[in-house]
Amino acid sequence: MDERPHKAHRPSTSGGKVDKKDKGKGKEKQHGFNEKAFAPKSGRRADRQGRRNVERDQTRLHVPLVNRTPDSEPPPVIIAIVGPPGVGKTTLLKSLVRRYTKQTLNDVKGPVTVVSGKKRRLTFIECNNDLNSMIDIGKIADLVLLMVDGSFGFEMETFEFLNVLQSHGFPKVIGILTHLDLIKKAATLKDTKKALKKRFWTEIYQGAKLFYLSGVLNGRYPDTEILNLSRFVSVMKFRPLVFRNAHPYLLADRIEDLTPREQVRQSKGKCDRNVTVYGYVRGTNLRLGTKVHIPGVGDLEMKSVTILGDPCPLPDADSEKRRKLSEKKKLLIHAPMSDIGGVMYDKDAVWINVPGSFTRGNADVPQGEGEQMVMDLQDAGATLEDGVAQSHIRLFGSSSKHLTVEAAVDDDDESDGYEDEDESGEEEEDDSGIESDDSDNDDGEETAPHPHSTGRSTRRDVKRTLPTASTSKVQRADVEYAESDSDLGDEDEDEGLGKRFRMEDGDALDIPSDDDEGEADEGEDDEEEAAPKWKSNLAAKAQAASSNSRRRKDWMKLIYSSGLTPEEVLSGKEEDQMAVEEEEDDGEFFRFKNVSIKDVDDEVDASKEGWKEEDLKKWEDDDMLDSIRGLFITGPVTQDGGEAEGEGYEDAEDAGGDFEDLEAGDGAAPRASEPMKAESSRAAALAAKKEELKRKFDEQYDDPESSKVDFYTEKKDEISRQLQLNIEEFKDVPAESRALVEGFRPGTYVRIELTDVPCEMIEHFDPAYPIIVGGLLPAEERFGYVQVRIKRHRWYVKTLKTNDPLIFSLGWRRFQSVPIYSLDDHSIRMRMLKYTPEHMHCYATFYGPVSLPNTGFCAFNSLAAETPGFRMSATGVVLDIDRSVKIVKKIKLTGVPYKIFKNTAFVRDMFSTALEVAKFEGANIRTVSGIRGQVKKGLSKPDGAFRATFEDKVLKSDIIFLRAWYSIQPRKFYNPVTSLLLSDKSQWTGMRLTGQVRRDEGIKTPLNVNSTYKRIERPERRFNPLIIPKKLQAALPYASKPRLMKPQRQQTYMQKRAVVMEPEERKAVALLQQIRALRKDQVARRKEKKSEKKAVHQKKVEKEEERKGEKVKERKKEVMRATGRKSKREAEAEEGRGPKRRKTQK
Amino acid sequence: MAPTDLVQFSGHHHLRLRLVLSILSGKAVRIDKIRSDDKNPGLRDFEISLLRLLEKVTNGTVIEISVTGTAILLKPGIISGGPLVHDCPLSRSIGYFLEPIVMLAPFAKKPLQLTLRGITTDEHDLSVDLFRTVTLPHLQLFGISDGLELRIKRRGAPPAGGGEAQFLCPILKQVKTLNFVEPGKIKRIRGIAHAVRVNPQFSNRMIEASRSILNRYIPDIYLYSDVYKGEESGKSPGYALSLLAESTTSALHCSEAISQPGVAPEDIALQATRALLAEIDKGGCVDRQHQTLVLLMMVLGSEDVGRCRMGEPTLRTIQFLRDVRSFFGTSFKITTADPLDKECSHLLYSCYGTGYINANRTVA
Repeated sequence: MDERPHKAHRPSTSGGKVDKKDKGKGKEKQHGFNEKAFAPKSGRRADRQGRRNVERDQTRLHVPLVNRTPDSEPPPVIIAIVGPPGVGKTTLLKSLVRRYTKQTLNDVKGPVTVVSGKKRRLTFIECNNDLNSMIDIGKIADLVLLMVDGSFGFEMETFEFLNVLQSHGFPKVIGILTHLDLIKKAATLKDTKKALKKRFWTEIYQGAKLFYLSGVLNGRYPDTEILNLSRFVSVMKFRPLVFRNAHPYLLADRIEDLTPREQVRQSKGKCDRNVTVYGYVRGTNLRLGTKVHIPGVGDLEMKSVTILGDPCPLPDADSEKRRKLSEKKKLLIHAPMSDIGGVMYDKDAVWINVPGSFTRGNADVPQGEGEQMVMDLQDAGATLEDGVAQSHIRLFGSSSKHLTVEAAVDDDDESDGYEDEDESGEEEEDDSGIESDDSDNDDGEETAPHPHSTGRSTRRDVKRTLPTASTSKVQRADVEYAESDSDLGDEDEDEGLGKRFRMEDGDALDIPSDDDEGEADEGEDDEEEAAPKWKSNLAAKAQAASSNSRRRKDWMKLIYSSGLTPEEVLSGKEEDQMAVEEEEDDGEFFRFKNVSIKDVDDEVDASKEGWKEEDLKKWEDDDMLDSIRGLFITGPVTQDGGEAEGEGYEDAEDAGGDFEDLEAGDGAAPRASEPMKAESSRAAALAAKKEELKRKFDEQYDDPESSKVDFYTEKKDEISRQLQLNIEEFKDVPAESRALVEGFRPGTYVRIELTDVPCEMIEHFDPAYPIIVGGLLPAEERFGYVQVRIKRHRWYVKTLKTNDPLIFSLGWRRFQSVPIYSLDDHSIRMRMLKYTPEHMHCYATFYGPVSLPNTGFCAFNSLAAETPGFRMSATGVVLDIDRSVKIVKKIKLTGVPYKIFKNTAFVRDMFSTALEVAKFEGANIRTVSGIRGQVKKGLSKPDGAFRATFEDKVLKSDIIFLRAWYSIQPRKFYNPVTSLLLSDKSQWTGMRLTGQVRRDEGIKTPLNVNSTYKRIERPERRFNPLIIPKKLQAALPYASKPRLMKPQRQQTYMQKRAVVMEPEERKAVALLQQIRALRKDQVARRKEKKSEKKAVHQKKVEKEEERKGEKVKERKKEVMRATGRKSKREAEAEEGRGPKRRKTQK
Repeated sequence: MAPTDLVQFSGHHHLRLRLVLSILSGKAVRIDKIRSDDKNPGLRDFEISLLRLLEKVTNGTVIEISVTGTAILLKPGIISGGPLVHDCPLSRSIGYFLEPIVMLAPFAKKPLQLTLRGITTDEHDLSVDLFRTVTLPHLQLFGISDGLELRIKRRGAPPAGGGEAQFLCPILKQVKTLNFVEPGKIKRIRGIAHAVRVNPQFSNRMIEASRSILNRYIPDIYLYSDVYKGEESGKSPGYALSLLAESTTSALHCSEAISQPGVAPEDIALQATRALLAEIDKGGCVDRQHQTLVLLMMVLGSEDVGRCRMGEPTLRTIQFLRDVRSFFGTSFKITTADPLDKECSHLLYSCYGTGYINANRTVA
């Protein structure tokens, strides 16, 4: 290209253009912001516009929710691929994995984790068509790729899955239409897309994202389409879901059985297993001591949790640099169930998978990381000891993970792990024994992150081989809390003491102390064994340290990891003294029980903390009184800012403290850091002061209105401040002990050891079925009666009946229970319903594991795949948890009066004993005719009879009834859906209905003779005539007087007279009669004729109809034949491409 | 119930807090060796009464007491609340029973309205005055405020008692996270002097004596003389002075002294006042009596870091911290509040809340 500069534009200074511009100068200004254009035309319009804006602003706001997932190292996003079989899920998964890792997977099993960007990892998981899997996946997926066969349309499973999502918190859903290439005609394609989109939108929300994937190329979807999809995935933001924000959970991407083989063999594989599951912690912090639930298996105890190195770490600058050029294309993938990747890091082992015949030498075949490692190992020139002797250990140049010394020394294979398991138990018991002879080793022993944790043997090896400074370095890595005490030798809590009190404490120590050797021990140690150099004058140093400044107590250690009683902790009893005492005691076999002798009963459980006499005495002194003037607002302003400043940089200070004692042995380092620390703290103090001043200034001079924030921003700020504090507070605490205080943070890759796992889970393990480990809150481990608001799903065809078993998916669990439906009856009582109402919510109460109120659930009658129609039968939300329920149903007790006085009647047959009557004294009763009354008192003679009074006289024929309420309890039935334990996982069957059992067993329904319907024969009732006494009759007013008229007996005047007609008259009458007869006959004949005619006409019309129908039929046949031919042709044309789809829905 | 859900203790100490922790955490607790070496072994009447009260407050709780009374097993139910009446035995004051109830009541199903009858002030436990003026404001730090009230209907001095107090507590969904690290400076002092069935001048004498010391510090001092007459004054004579100091950040410190035979009211007042000064001198954001309450609420807070600055832990607190760990698995990080100041005895307690949500609460 030529480098010549372009000629600059020279605007013309004269001519038409210039004139035009000049003329337009006035208008020029209006090109900018035209106020008029945006100003509302009228006041009303302005009002409406304003309102709309405000409303739109409000719709943007959501309830501020704390996101417990850290921003820095978030766990991989779980992307579930869901859809009916044959829709292309595996193809999509393979395409997506290829897009991210440039690798083609052949056989995908279980979750696949890939790195998708600088800050995001993705875990893909394919969901099979089993409803159980769909439910589980719906509970953990962050993003669902919902695949729909475009050529077929939506299927029942899709809707079922969407409804499951709805009840468990809706994750993000992207719809994907596949098989669109099967639709040939462009117009049809367009229509189909439009129709499906419309349906999809109504199901999710208007404007939900729907992707279209056309045909398959080379077993994958077209790269451009996948690229587009992956872009959408990579920018997707996730709003925290309430349930997942309150529960820790992980999706197991690997599972190992740790049970000793021998035990398995002896029990013929039936013993409960020890199982480890691996995965990223998600949701909230996972803590030890809580239970976990694996849906499909049950509640399990976590024996231990260990942080493992991230198998699929996010790229940082360093790792990017180290990646070889050849690896550049190949990105990280972690899919242990699919056996990809080759290298797995366990707690105490590295597993390398090599292909069938592994020979080195054939360099032309590209090697994976694992193979490279094996070859490097074979290459190792120097012995291990030589390597270790060098300060920096790097076994493999290419290893992305830093190998610790333990791992390197571990030369046994898997059997080692099992041994450790066995040993750990006994080692705990005889801890003290071991440690007393090699007590300089107990540093390492005691610092094990958990008492149950394994890996003892490796540690021991380390000690044997490396008695140099490097040991301390390694140990430092997992030193617990107690390291924050700058106490070299002061905490010499000797082993015997610790042990003794531990028994009292009753729980194994969670935060083990790093028992630095005490002065008392120290001497002995020296005799026993040549202590390392840095330890040699430890005691002297400690002495010096404690003498020159009054040392602070390390409260955490004293409280949590020492066995001292609270009194001893408070009195600050020097532990070395204690130690000496204990030493003496240890020699003897029996010990005097002198602790508990001191008068126990004198100290009452009092909440008022008294003051000692001398403490109060000193306040009689005036100087003393003056000394605390500074604590009052009126006091002198001496060290005003002091306290506030102290807060600000205490974190930095703590870190300094740590540093000091860590390196205490080295000696030189802390001195060097001392001035630096002072410097930095001063600077920090200054900065804090400045900040404070600035804030004050801003407060005074800024507009108070402008600084006022609305509720929403205030809440959000508060949340972010708290999150910041959460991060800051434990920043300086080492990872292991941090895990003990706050649990395992989301995003860490952990290994959870579970005990007492049913053997079937391992034996029938199938990677196609997801294993989810859901953490339970303490409340959720308990059982109780759960009251829920429930609504039968409108697509479920049958109605639900009380006491029919129902399968609930609630919280993490899936279980069958027996609900009782009820409705609130005038807020007075909960009244049982036999059936769920139509189109209405009702309550249901069942026995089962407790879930927090407001948790959503869905319910099914059957999970089996062959169930016809829509399987989800109800949805709802948990309202209440209780240990007892009060649901009633109506009961009517009936009786009959056997003796009636004026308003009193004696009633029998209602109760059977006088005791029952006594219970119901005063109860309201009623007759069928509506006369109200009351139960008065039981009678002695006929058992259960009683006297009752009524507002009116009752009849002997009246039935008297008492309306009462009978309380019913839901059955205590809880049956977890243990689908993962079955060999055929979709074949789980729970409790069947009685009818179902009868049908299956071929049993006839027993018939109660009393329940059969018979003809009711009621005898005719006869009523005696009402007789009113004469006297009363006379007294009655005229209107009420009974009309007592007797039939007339005498003949009337007309009756008495005979009528004799004249002859003409007789003739006329006869004639009239004849005419009438004729007329009648005429009418009858006419009618007959008409009906005849009608029949004929009917016949004619029928014939016509028949002919017409035939014609229509013919035409229809023609059309059908044509379409049939067409579809057949189409099918034949398509036979060549694509697999034939299997339709599941009947 | 799985065996892991059972927590074991021995000894009668810290019984109340252990029962409270058990009910809150839902873990069953077994306490044995209750005064097994004593001449009079087993549970005392007030402890039995406390168990009865807990049974009333909860639903579904199973309490098994061994034949000798030296061991109890408590399988907690849910906290139900509602209107309740309880007669406290005369061996302990109302404060003994109120303390665990205050910890449980916010997590009940229905707002609690508990009427307690018995002794209102004694030397072992916090008096109802301090409960009203100090303990309840501490709950406000955690978002429990609306409808929180303690009504002193009648006073009852030991030994015959005859007092009555009604405790009203609202329920809440989740406790707020505490972040209370500024002790501030004392800005006001309040006090209540009461005298029942004795010369009403006694309370004035106490006030005067107390003022003789306190007046030198701040002007904002109000010491009320609370008078109860006739029926409302209980069955026994007695008088007491309770004092509280509030700081600029509304940290509260309190003290109390009650009448002793043969001691002039002035001396009682001086005792209370000096105790208050000692308490102020100890400093911190929370005084010694309320350490356990505040720490418990911190543990029950949302899954965030809560911080509080306090003095050294008391005996009760130390054992409480250990018990909390065995029930909730939560341990505190305890560091010195002011690492620069060598003399500073304040400690900063921080913990990660368990995210306790009131599962008993009914929605809709």
